[in-house]
Amino acid sequence: MLAFELFVQGLVQGSIYALIAVGLTLVYGLLRILHVAHAGLFTLGGYCGVLVANATGSFLLALLVAMVVVGLAGMAMYRLCYQPILDKPPYVALILSIGLFIAMEELFRLIFGPYGLTFDAPALQGRLEILGINLKHAEWATMAGAVIVLGVLALLASRTRLGIAWRATVTVPQMAESFGINIIQVRYVNFFIGSALAGAAGVMVALANLQVEPTMGSVPSYKALAIIVLGGLGNVRGTLIAALALGVIESYGTIYLGKILERDAIAFAFLIVVLMVRPHGLFAKAGG
Amino acid sequence: MTALLEVREVRVHFGGVVAVDGVSFDAEQGELLGLIGPNGAGKTTLMRAITGVIRPQSGSIRLAGRDLAGLPTHRRVRLGLGLSQQLVSPFTTMTAVQNVALAAGYRKTGAPLAALIQMRRAPELARARELLELVGVRGLADRLPGDLPLGDLKRVEVARALALDPKLLLLDEPLAGLNHIEAAALADTITALNRDGLTVVLIEHNLGEVMRICSRLVVVDNGRKLAEGPPREVMGEAKVRAAYLGEEVEDAAA
Amino acid sequence: MTGIIGNYEMSLLTMVGITVTFALSLNLITGLCGQISLGHAAFYGAGAYAAAMLTKAGVPFALALLAAAAVAAAIGLVVGLASLRVRHDFLAITTMGVGFLFIGIVRQQDALGGTMGISSIPDPGLGKAGFMALCLASAGVVALFSLYVKRSWMGYAFDSIADDEDTARIVGINVPAYKLAAFAIGTGIAGVAGGLYAHNVGIIDPDSFGFIESITVLAMVVIGGNGSVWGVTVAAVMLSMLPHWFQFIDNYKLLVYGGLVFAVMRFSPGGLAGLFAGGLERLRRARMPS
Repeated sequence: MLAFELFVQGLVQGSIYALIAVGLTLVYGLLRILHVAHAGLFTLGGYCGVLVANATGSFLLALLVAMVVVGLAGMAMYRLCYQPILDKPPYVALILSIGLFIAMEELFRLIFGPYGLTFDAPALQGRLEILGINLKHAEWATMAGAVIVLGVLALLASRTRLGIAWRATVTVPQMAESFGINIIQVRYVNFFIGSALAGAAGVMVALANLQVEPTMGSVPSYKALAIIVLGGLGNVRGTLIAALALGVIESYGTIYLGKILERDAIAFAFLIVVLMVRPHGLFAKAGG
Repeated sequence: MTALLEVREVRVHFGGVVAVDGVSFDAEQGELLGLIGPNGAGKTTLMRAITGVIRPQSGSIRLAGRDLAGLPTHRRVRLGLGLSQQLVSPFTTMTAVQNVALAAGYRKTGAPLAALIQMRRAPELARARELLELVGVRGLADRLPGDLPLGDLKRVEVARALALDPKLLLLDEPLAGLNHIEAAALADTITALNRDGLTVVLIEHNLGEVMRICSRLVVVDNGRKLAEGPPREVMGEAKVRAAYLGEEVEDAAA
Repeated sequence: MTGIIGNYEMSLLTMVGITVTFALSLNLITGLCGQISLGHAAFYGAGAYAAAMLTKAGVPFALALLAAAAVAAAIGLVVGLASLRVRHDFLAITTMGVGFLFIGIVRQQDALGGTMGISSIPDPGLGKAGFMALCLASAGVVALFSLYVKRSWMGYAFDSIADDEDTARIVGINVPAYKLAAFAIGTGIAGVAGGLYAHNVGIIDPDSFGFIESITVLAMVVIGGNGSVWGVTVAAVMLSMLPHWFQFIDNYKLLVYGGLVFAVMRFSPGGLAGLFAGGLERLRRARMPS
């Protein structure tokens, strides 16, 4: 049944968006920075994944390496790029991030070529049918992965010391320090987790497309920005919902609105409409 | 005779929380009125309703007989409401005199296109220097706010508010963050301005100075008006004292 | 005329004139009034399309340019109105969204040429030298106008809005009205630049007005020094001439842009103007008697 298939496809796409957007919203919640270069980390994950998979033949290893490498890269980005300019007005970080992202995309293109890299022996290409929906293993894995990971994150945020420390740092930064919370540590972990997730998303997308190419980060990155605004900057749960919703809306929108509006613009049309009606996004900001 | 500022049955609630619950008070022409109350009493919310940042669910606020409902902040300012904010906020990219001169040029900044054809800043700069002298910081006119201590920044803010030729000066915790000497000095300046005929409403925590300079007090607690009247009388009331118990009272040694 | 300056140089100068006009138009919005816009190429594009379609329909060039300004400014006003509703963090993303929306819509409209765009745009009839003069003149006029605005009371109000919007309200500034004015003027000028661009290159397509284009022009404003007319002009001239000075650089153009923007924001957020001002300040301090 077409409608249901569209819905599930939308969820798969939405899961990718969620994995990328979460890292973005984590950074925003903590530092009030729109970390556009996050998309560059996504692409980096894709490249790492392909390189390791082709070198070792193990997809699982590729995924793990990609996540670790990108997580570390994210931490380095924080330390070298963002930390020194935290006292400047917010547009400085935003524009710096945009410049960094563009430079990263170009570097990928110049180093690895404009046509990207392909998997020698892509994993998870088998198909599986559940409830009448026939998807590749990779697509099922992506959805499941997103749900599990984000569920775990939500649990971490509310149950563990680290999670509570994070929430405190977001909502009452000055007080958090006096409670003995190591703000720098929280930030590093924040960047590590968010970036690692983006790296994982990069590998999964590369797997679904059987290749990685330098501009694969652009479109998802812009949409991820729209998503975190819709979900409420800093609100992880809201971001997840907004991401899935966008995936589904794009899925249907391409069919029904395709005459007027290109697929990629649907995200922004949706964003602008929502912002006009609810200027603070669909959900209130995390922590009130 | 209508009072200069009439606040009537103002109610403000956020979701389920009632911040201001039907507060009414007047500020008469020429008064130095103090609006006081413990933390969380609703003073700031009330202030925001008067300045136009928040829209009350019910009640009315009139300035010189004119209803302020629905008017944005800049319109209220142009109707005669001079403001200084709790967190001092000068324009950091301008010197003190430039800060005040911008306000002094309110007749020129009314509409963008009209502002486009105005070039001269000399008259406003001169007026700004006069006002800075009036509040006692003439020598700091050409300094950037980043270089100035809090006490002086507060004076610049007052000068900036005065530059708008206000009918009423509404000051939100002007003495916060100042030590004894600075607070007393600024309080004296405010008193002098009031003596010259300016109506002042002061939201303040520093009870000592408030007792000393205000002609009348309005006490707010838990969103309601608790008492009003001359300072000594009001502070003498048991319920007012009770409201402040359990709350760190500022050194009231006058 | 062609004896003194060759055809190549004339093309270059024409392009520089258009680019400087475009960059200064963004400077009015982002530099002078502090409203960050990540979708400015949409107005450039709107002006380009409007002018191109009009001249193709036989409308005189001058009128077409005016119409381009009007169309771009009208869209700019709508975007400006939308921008009033959102907080400044959201403003960046909203303007980016507008940029994408513009491309997304235009690409689907057959009336506008779809993804292929519009070609065979008529020659404005000024001759190569005349057209170059027009483009350079427009850059000059916009530069002078920007300097004028800065010294006027509108510029004074803009300064306060860029500094602290909420405090600007407290000194009686009608912030929404000023923001709209900045948007309308800035986007209108961008529309003129777009119209000139369309008639310079003869063919236009939606991809010339995308996000990269918006970032490129923003880079010029930021590298030049937000708000500084001469800084933005110099940055626009240099960045647009870069690929022409070093032929091989065309492949690295975006890398250079991205890298420069990053480096400037990381080490000298005041841009060229900031560096210059800082340098002057150090000279002044060094000269002062101790």
